[in-house]
Amino acid sequence: MKLPNDATITTDLLHPLLNTSWRFYLLVAFLGSIVLMGLSTWIFQMVMGFGMTGINNPIFWAFYITNFVFWIGISHAGTLISAILRLVNAGWRRPVTRCAEVITAFALMIGALFPIIHLGRPWLFFWLVPYPSSRMIWPNFRSPLAWDFFAINTYLTGSLLFLFLPMIPDFAIVRDHSTGLRRKIYGVLALGWRGTTKQWHRLETAMSIMAVGIIPVAVSVHTIVSFDFSMAPVPMWHSTIFGPYFVAGAIFSGIAGLIIAMATLRKFLHLENYLYPLHFQNLGKLLLMMSLLWGYFVFNERLTVWYGNHEADMNVFWVTQTGSFSPLFWTMVTVNFVIPVIILGIKRFRTITGCVIASCGVCVGMWLERFLIVVPSLGHKYLPYSWGTYTPQPVELLITVSTFAAMTLLYTLFAKFVPIISIWELKAGKHPSPALFPEGAREHPLGEVHI
Amino acid sequence: MDRRNFIKLTALTGSATALASCGNPEHTIIRFLPEDELTPGIAEWKPSVCPLCASGCGLTVRVMDTDVEVTREGQAGVTRMAVAKKLEGNPDHPVSRGGLCARGQAGIQVTYHPDRITQPLKRTGNRGEAKYEAVTWDQAIAELATQLDGLATAADQKSLAFVTARRSGRRATLVQQFLAKFGAPAAMAFELFGNDVLRRANGLSFGREQLPTLDLARSRYVLSFGADFLGTWNSPVAHAEAYGAMRQGRPGLRGSFVQIESHMTQTGANADEWVPVFPGTEGVLALGFAHVIVHEKLRPADAAGRAGALIAGWASGLEEYAPDRVSKLTGVTVHRIEEIARHFAELRPSMAFAGGPPLAHTNALFTAVAVNALNALVGNINEPGGIFFTPQVATADTGPSASGAAPSFDKLAAGIVAGQLPVKVLLVDGANPVFATPQAWKVKEAFAKVPFIASFGSFLDETSAQADLILPDHSFLESWVEAAPESGSLVAVMSVAPPAMKPLYQTRAMGDVLLEVGRKLQKPLDLPWQTYEEALKTAIAPLAGGKDIDEDWFAIRKQGGWWGNLSKPAPPVAAASKAPMTFVEPQFDGDVQQFPFHFLPYPSAAFLDGSLAHLPWLQELPDPLTSAMWSSWVEVNPQTAERLGISDRDIVEIASAHGSIQTAAVVSPGLAQNIIAMPVGQGHSMFTRYATGRGANPIAILAPVMEPETGSLAWAATRVKISRVGDPDGRLILFAGAKEEKPNEGLR
Amino acid sequence: MAHKWGLAVDLDRCDGCGACVTACHAENNIPTVGEMQAARGRAMHWIRVERYWEGEFPNVRLKFRPVMCQQCDSAPCEPVCPTYASHHTADGLNAQIYNRCIGTRYCANACPYNVRFFDFFNPAWDKPLQLQLNPDVSVREVGVMEKCTFCSQRILATTIQAKAEKREVKDGEIKPACAQACPAKAIVFGDLNDPESEVSRLAESPRGSKLLEDLGTRPNVNYLQRLTEA
Repeated sequence: MKLPNDATITTDLLHPLLNTSWRFYLLVAFLGSIVLMGLSTWIFQMVMGFGMTGINNPIFWAFYITNFVFWIGISHAGTLISAILRLVNAGWRRPVTRCAEVITAFALMIGALFPIIHLGRPWLFFWLVPYPSSRMIWPNFRSPLAWDFFAINTYLTGSLLFLFLPMIPDFAIVRDHSTGLRRKIYGVLALGWRGTTKQWHRLETAMSIMAVGIIPVAVSVHTIVSFDFSMAPVPMWHSTIFGPYFVAGAIFSGIAGLIIAMATLRKFLHLENYLYPLHFQNLGKLLLMMSLLWGYFVFNERLTVWYGNHEADMNVFWVTQTGSFSPLFWTMVTVNFVIPVIILGIKRFRTITGCVIASCGVCVGMWLERFLIVVPSLGHKYLPYSWGTYTPQPVELLITVSTFAAMTLLYTLFAKFVPIISIWELKAGKHPSPALFPEGAREHPLGEVHI
Repeated sequence: MDRRNFIKLTALTGSATALASCGNPEHTIIRFLPEDELTPGIAEWKPSVCPLCASGCGLTVRVMDTDVEVTREGQAGVTRMAVAKKLEGNPDHPVSRGGLCARGQAGIQVTYHPDRITQPLKRTGNRGEAKYEAVTWDQAIAELATQLDGLATAADQKSLAFVTARRSGRRATLVQQFLAKFGAPAAMAFELFGNDVLRRANGLSFGREQLPTLDLARSRYVLSFGADFLGTWNSPVAHAEAYGAMRQGRPGLRGSFVQIESHMTQTGANADEWVPVFPGTEGVLALGFAHVIVHEKLRPADAAGRAGALIAGWASGLEEYAPDRVSKLTGVTVHRIEEIARHFAELRPSMAFAGGPPLAHTNALFTAVAVNALNALVGNINEPGGIFFTPQVATADTGPSASGAAPSFDKLAAGIVAGQLPVKVLLVDGANPVFATPQAWKVKEAFAKVPFIASFGSFLDETSAQADLILPDHSFLESWVEAAPESGSLVAVMSVAPPAMKPLYQTRAMGDVLLEVGRKLQKPLDLPWQTYEEALKTAIAPLAGGKDIDEDWFAIRKQGGWWGNLSKPAPPVAAASKAPMTFVEPQFDGDVQQFPFHFLPYPSAAFLDGSLAHLPWLQELPDPLTSAMWSSWVEVNPQTAERLGISDRDIVEIASAHGSIQTAAVVSPGLAQNIIAMPVGQGHSMFTRYATGRGANPIAILAPVMEPETGSLAWAATRVKISRVGDPDGRLILFAGAKEEKPNEGLR
Repeated sequence: MAHKWGLAVDLDRCDGCGACVTACHAENNIPTVGEMQAARGRAMHWIRVERYWEGEFPNVRLKFRPVMCQQCDSAPCEPVCPTYASHHTADGLNAQIYNRCIGTRYCANACPYNVRFFDFFNPAWDKPLQLQLNPDVSVREVGVMEKCTFCSQRILATTIQAKAEKREVKDGEIKPACAQACPAKAIVFGDLNDPESEVSRLAESPRGSKLLEDLGTRPNVNYLQRLTEA
């Protein structure tokens, strides 16, 4: 392993921007076609009618809402890693932050699409925007869906800012290393960055503010998403645990997504000198902690429901525990808890490959968790005469698959146009400026990894 | 783009569009002058009569104007017409009293059905292929007249057969007069779920060969032997109205009701006590009650009079019907027998009646007579809270009666097949015997041997698809309608109403067509009326008893009929003598080893005998007991299902000695282990887009067992076997969610 | 005083026949979804007759209960609709405003009675079945929710008529389609704010209870219990 120096950092990390192989075009074409297929499937759904989905009476929410919550959950990766690790000045965050923030931005955008996809009349989605309409009707601010609108837009704005701010010095680096059109574009994006002390100071202040501010926004976003469920009098939805449960689950799935993204980048962009097993081990430890936390929440929720023995809740409880949804439920428990705890808890297994396997399992498990929250409850409400079952239809499957392709595509394109690892932050890590360090850290430089 | 080019472009596209729409006459829609004078958006309410079952409920029809696509003199176009929008029960009508059942509500879809026959059709392909060509009414009537003339020329008038729905009233009279004057045998009324046994029993017991009218509203204790009186039997709307009053219409007094049957019906679901009984033993049970009543001196045996005398051993204390023997025969506990008997005698007025499966066995007449005796024992005939007989309007008939009674339908079919009954011309009106008869009767084969068949039907069904000529009747909303209910009212009723709307198509009222055919014969029939309306008016207007017949007729038409007390009600008939009857075990077809189950086909709430399966609202109406829609199914007891490895919705095959069918199974707790029940109505091979090829028809596999006295089909007398043949394949559609597990199953 | 419309359903009179179901379809232009969509759980019976089996043969019972929108005073479907498509009227009804609905279907999830239905496709009637459509009731397009309105078109027509005639609406003058069709007269509609009305009288009945009352929805349909003894 060759420790990179300043020059190699720049060349290595600018390499993807400046050199494009045929493989890239092939990948983009492949992913693009899947995304196009997804888009046309959505148009098909709008033209033919929402009945093309598997939604029925009483299961009025299924795949699309599951996807919505899932992607919003994934978007919590960036916040935790970037904001929290920045705040506590964990040095190992440096090659990781941008990967994470990018996930947030794109996952949010994709997630925010789903409330529109799942509408019966999606062409009227703009009625959720609070504007003074000629009908003098505002959105119903009492509705959790209206809260979703504000929360997600706030978080998206914040995350984009939080993503963009640290990209400015890197855009300047690209600008300085390129010519012609590329120089012009990146010049615009760099917003005239010259690297003066004053600019650095402003940047660091802004980033600190964002880091502090984005955390409560992120917590509130997923709490508000959870309110979509907990505010409705549906058995096993109407629970106070949903807020923290969802936030914990979001962070959990976010870290998993991040690990997968980082491992992929490491392999395909040859970033072995920048993303070490240590990074994965640290993230793996975080993932382990979240897995234990998730297990705690699930146990907590289910124990109280079972002990409370409320009839309507118990119908849903049993149908997931031992009934028709139990295969999915136990799969979820296995891939979210059993396997990650084993892989991530035993140091020998906590390798990059191990972390990736655990993370893939967690992604599947968290998707299943959302599904198992939405569908069994809706299928077993208070009047058994109206219980029902759900089968996903091709439109839902295609659109779901296409969002994963869309995420990958957006990520790939991003990595093509922006250095996926923050160049200036890496360099700053090698040459820590006293101004960047709080008092105590200078005296007790523990936990710092200088590369 | 600059302004000049913009204006050029707009002008070009604008004029191109304008030019495109003119000059091409095929693309214009002709609007005919409105034929009705109706204020737009304001509804008029017109009376009518529902013909979908024999109850004859009076309707009121909401009529509003709308644009309708019509063809006038071969030209297609649009006109503003007053059309029916909604059917409601007529609040003043003695039978419906403002209520209307789901079937009646769906009746409006008959008029607007997309597969209605809109004009006379002549067959071009083979019979059953449903290949027809349109002909004019003149051609159609001429064709039919020619066929009849052919018979007359060969002095073969007896070879004309007329199959009709069971109807009373002027339409039946018109048909009867037509046949009589032509010289043909009387019309044959075909009814799958007929009540001839009950009529015969009522004739024997009470001198009234007629369906009973149940005064439930004033009754305190009702004992129903198998009768689905709130669902499909007799006059359900009238019964339901009276039932509601029986329960909660009298402050402080609530009537009770006990249902005795082998299979839970919608009616049975409402019973205070549901008593399962072995099939065909209901008569024994009734006499078991009578035994207890007499022995406990709750009523004197001779109170039953003539009705009691029909039961052998009545006068000597009904020793054969002691509770323990009855209990063994029927499966009802002694305790229950005694308790019900006591209630029946003490909670008066009480009433008992039998209908449905108990009267579809070989010993049905005995059962009906036994139940009648119970009523007579407590003295409820013509008493408040008891059994009445709707006074029947005597139709003033002129002319000769038909030459020869018609054979029963199965005998007709058998006779035709065997070549003994050479029917040459067959006319069908309002019946579908090719569908609603057991395959063993070979009706289709019989039809194949008839050289000429004509149908007055509005739809292509299994029977009309065998017709060579179709002379489509109006739908009832477009035509004069009438009904003379046999039951359901304490006063005499003669419902009659003019058309609620003009015809949509080139259909014609069957009565008018018959009259015109009668005029067009080489030897005209000289019937006393020019039109069907005239036939109605001459018979019904005089009922009002006024001086001005036109005024009376106007008032009757406006009201939707005449009802009230008859000045000269028909007196009871002197009973035909009959030897006292004893219980005989019911006979079942099929060896009990090979066919271990009793098969109970029953009229479905949605389709009755299948004649309403073409109405989409009824297909989508969830069945009261299973919530099934668009499906047929068979009901199986849970232990039987477990024993045979049948799960809910599995595909099963039900086989009798006369055929087999396949359908989905529904595991139901409402029937005993040795009973299989299946609703009738689906399984049409041809009956419009909504019913064709859907489900299975249980009638097809019934054994040709007949009740010996009346010759009625004993449709509950077939034994079957059942076996699982496949996994659920989605053909059974239920509205209710499946309860996958019992709630709180995990808690021990 | 403003009206407060309510229903009383006497389960001792109801015999489960289903006349109310078809009458409602006829009055309110409810689409017949057909076999395939019905199999997918999309049949739209604004009023349905629930049936519950109890026990096993031979001690088996079957109970019927017509369930329609309960027009709850604390309707859980109202706060959750982001576009105010589900809202409470001055006369105590929960109104579904079709052209305000964007089809999030949250209201259907929140409704504990499962009485809200979604138009999965644009309704189509095989011609000329569309001639039967009631011109007083809109035909809903794909993507909106719909449900029982207590036949608001009849309420409106009668209240307008009464106003034009300068009089009060008489008790029993308005009958929703279900109440009118029911042969057993099990469904009674009226003004709960009028203590003299039939529905108010029935609401006082000791047999009366409300469906899922403990959820706090405050429904306006009183179910009068079916009795088992004389």
